[in-house]
Amino acid sequence: MSNIRNFCIIAHIDHGKSTLADRLIQLCGAVEDRKFRDQILDSMDIERERGITIKSNTITLDYTAKDGQQYQLNLIDTPGHVDFSHEVRRSLMSCEGALLLVDASQGVEAQTVANLYLALEYDLELVPVINKIDLPAADIDRVKDEIEKDLGLDPDEAVCCSAKLGQGIEDVLEAIVTKLPAPQRDTGAPTRALVFDAQYDPYRGVVLYCRVKEGSLRPGQTIRFMNSGKEHTLEEVGRLRLTRAPQKTLEAGEVGYLLAGIKTVRDVAIGDTLTDGSNPAPEPLAGYKKAKPVVFSSIYPMASDDYPELVKALDKLVLNDAALTFEKDSSAALGYGFRCGFLGLLHLEVVQERLQREYGLSLLLSAPSVRYHVVLENGETVSVDNPSYYPDPSTIAGAEEPFIKGSVMIPERYIGTVMELCRERRGENIQFNYLAQKRVELTAELPLAEVLFDFYDRLKSSTQGYGSFDYEVLDYRPTDLVKIDILVNGEPVDALAQLAHRERARLRALHYCDRLAENIPKHQFKIAIQGAIGGKIIARSNIQALRKDVTAKCYGGDITRKRKLLEKQKEGKKRMKTVGAVDIPQDAFVAVLKTDTDS
Amino acid sequence: MSDRYAGLYLHVPFCTRVCPYCDFAVRTGDAEKRRSYIEALLEEIDLHAGTAPTFDTIYFGGGTPSCLEPDDLGRVVARLRARLSTVEDPWIFLEANPEDVTPRRAAAWKRIGVRTVSLGVQSFDADELAFLGRGHSPGQARDAIRVCRETGFHTVSIDLIYGLPGQTTDTWHRRLDAAIETEPDHLACYQLTIHDGTRFALLERRGELTQLQDDGQAAVFRATHEHLNAAGYAGYEVAAFAIDPGHRSRHNRKYWNHTPYLGLGPSAHSFDGSTRWWNHRTMDPWQQAIERGKKPIDNAETLSRRDLLLETLMTGLRTYRGIDTADIRRRFGTDLLATNAELVERLHANGLVKRHASRLIPTLDGLAVADSLAAMFRL
Repeated sequence: MSNIRNFCIIAHIDHGKSTLADRLIQLCGAVEDRKFRDQILDSMDIERERGITIKSNTITLDYTAKDGQQYQLNLIDTPGHVDFSHEVRRSLMSCEGALLLVDASQGVEAQTVANLYLALEYDLELVPVINKIDLPAADIDRVKDEIEKDLGLDPDEAVCCSAKLGQGIEDVLEAIVTKLPAPQRDTGAPTRALVFDAQYDPYRGVVLYCRVKEGSLRPGQTIRFMNSGKEHTLEEVGRLRLTRAPQKTLEAGEVGYLLAGIKTVRDVAIGDTLTDGSNPAPEPLAGYKKAKPVVFSSIYPMASDDYPELVKALDKLVLNDAALTFEKDSSAALGYGFRCGFLGLLHLEVVQERLQREYGLSLLLSAPSVRYHVVLENGETVSVDNPSYYPDPSTIAGAEEPFIKGSVMIPERYIGTVMELCRERRGENIQFNYLAQKRVELTAELPLAEVLFDFYDRLKSSTQGYGSFDYEVLDYRPTDLVKIDILVNGEPVDALAQLAHRERARLRALHYCDRLAENIPKHQFKIAIQGAIGGKIIARSNIQALRKDVTAKCYGGDITRKRKLLEKQKEGKKRMKTVGAVDIPQDAFVAVLKTDTDS
Repeated sequence: MSDRYAGLYLHVPFCTRVCPYCDFAVRTGDAEKRRSYIEALLEEIDLHAGTAPTFDTIYFGGGTPSCLEPDDLGRVVARLRARLSTVEDPWIFLEANPEDVTPRRAAAWKRIGVRTVSLGVQSFDADELAFLGRGHSPGQARDAIRVCRETGFHTVSIDLIYGLPGQTTDTWHRRLDAAIETEPDHLACYQLTIHDGTRFALLERRGELTQLQDDGQAAVFRATHEHLNAAGYAGYEVAAFAIDPGHRSRHNRKYWNHTPYLGLGPSAHSFDGSTRWWNHRTMDPWQQAIERGKKPIDNAETLSRRDLLLETLMTGLRTYRGIDTADIRRRFGTDLLATNAELVERLHANGLVKRHASRLIPTLDGLAVADSLAAMFRL
């Protein structure tokens, strides 16, 4: 057991985590070279295309070290994006140590720091690894300086490598063996195992990934989820090679998978503790935090006929995305759909893309919203994440919105720009402290709602790509919340309603009005598009009436051709949503709801 | 309401030159081609002998029918009267280019029985004519009108094109005045439309030609109707104006009111009250079918009740008379005023239609968007 190492790689996005994992896997011969492909642990198309890891993944490697002994290395790959920090937490809880990967040219970034704190929270041993040393812009001395000053780690412990070229990979493996501790072994105590992930196998049902902390797991055993109390009979346990490798037992200290005939991941609380049903442990493992959705949006099928398809697709999708929540929703303009909860904007995008790509659905998403707390005059507090359920304003005493603590790391020269951006986004308590090498960490308390709309893009563009960003949810704070209605010829378009801070309402409404005006074709009458708070109009845009569309020639007896043109017009109208006698094409909703260029 | 007698259309696919805005089935052709066309047309007439209805209008359209020899036109008319059933004195229409009009030819047309000459004047401005690629001068146009007048045709009609790039209501008023001065009986004013596959479409793609915008088009459309109506030329359709009801086109109205018509020649369309069919668009397949003794039909469609209703709205709303909802209820069993009450109310409130007894009559603003009005009705 002293030859087991459970570790993960933590890094800022793009610092080369998946590439390093690839090299470790190759060097340990876990996969034949001819079967190898890049980012081998990233199985989803989206992960490969975007070069990001969304789902954790785990693999067991056999490594014969320089001391002549064979080691079992369990690499738990973690997502790199802040949206998925709950997955990172669970992975960290399954490990004794971590490689903290730093890009030799970019240096320490916001997520590097955030991940360091997370790892320290779980008492992990850390080995700094400086990657991409082959880059012309690599500056190892500077990065070592940052590792010492910004992270408080010993720079002399740092291992240098180039995962891309395969340089220094053995040094990394040796560091894992020599510097990271072996797991504590307590096989005698009642069984406790942490479920840190689950995937869905269409033939075997749910595959649970777990780290056995105490005791052992073996087929035939009755296991119990300590939080939910549900029991199942273990069918199979084993190690995670590139495919599943069954074993007789999984012992304390090991990482592996188990199958127990569980039908859907909905039935599994990831992060829950498993114990032996006949000899239960008194307490579950501590430290687990459940992932809570923070961003909400309604998803509608483009064609309302596709609603049953959407139902099926969501049911399948949640089989391996336990963080996604959804419930039925309906809109007068867009028909039936679902109100979904996401861990963040990236999660939202990933879900949208998977639904469109893996299930061939064409979708429309309403403007993302955070969850507000609305305090009523009668003292009651209600949570509102859907503008449709915003209470009658006359009954509202006040509202609160979620705040985050955002952390931005930037070269010193961008302080002014970024402070300005934070202030513009209603940032409070903006602070900065100097790091090594003329770099600054700027922290601010920001409304989450303000970060949802293109904050990260703006940060990137205003710092020429140098700014890195990370956040954690803080608390709820009082806010001046209003509901913006978008009216077309006096009738509200429910799918476009949204909640916003009063100060931001006018701009948001103007943006919506202008976008709609650009994308609704002219009608035979003038169309007024308005943004309103209650009865008060705060923004307006007009579409002039169509003045001329008659083609003067009537083609001898060729009435057919002309009728067919009209048929086309009529066909087109069918695919539009009619509000206030105005036909709104789907394109207009898409254009309006796109967040990329939100003002 | 349909007319009592059917209409006959003959498509002449020849032009001495192809205009840059034209997307009709036309070609330039040598004398040999024209001769073989006439022979094929005569045979096509024979193919319909005994089956066609009785006609009271014969319309030579194109293309440029006036570029055919009057003798050939005469042979066609003689064959029509011999093989098909016509009224005693059918009304013959002839489209003509001003440069083809000479006193001798005009007299020959008159002898054949032509009563309406429709002159492709297009403009009385030399620059505009050059832009439109026409082969005549403003002077030739005036001469042609005078010759026709002196020949004693019942109706002299002129075609004009408006909405040219850069045209304003001012310049267009001047062109209309020039037309009115020549005292035609009838005017057909077509707004320039750029069709795919024409030279103008190519120029537009290259950015060398810009069409008038929606507002500009609406302005000249309105100007056309207001100016001509004020000058005594009463409009009766989006593009048609007559000095008195007797000079309105009795052929075109058949297309608008579902009267049967037979079309002969390449690309010509026919309709028998429920089915519409059309000939091969180009000369060769058209001619080959006839040589094999077959009707040169490319394709056909049978109109559903809904198709007929949509066409009734489409063509009706392009006319000053509008649509008669009582007539529609009798023909189709649909009471539009009930099934589209809200729409009718809205169109009325927005000044696009007026109601007169059971009729819905488009206003001038309504006529300008007649195409989309028809598409709005729930059928």
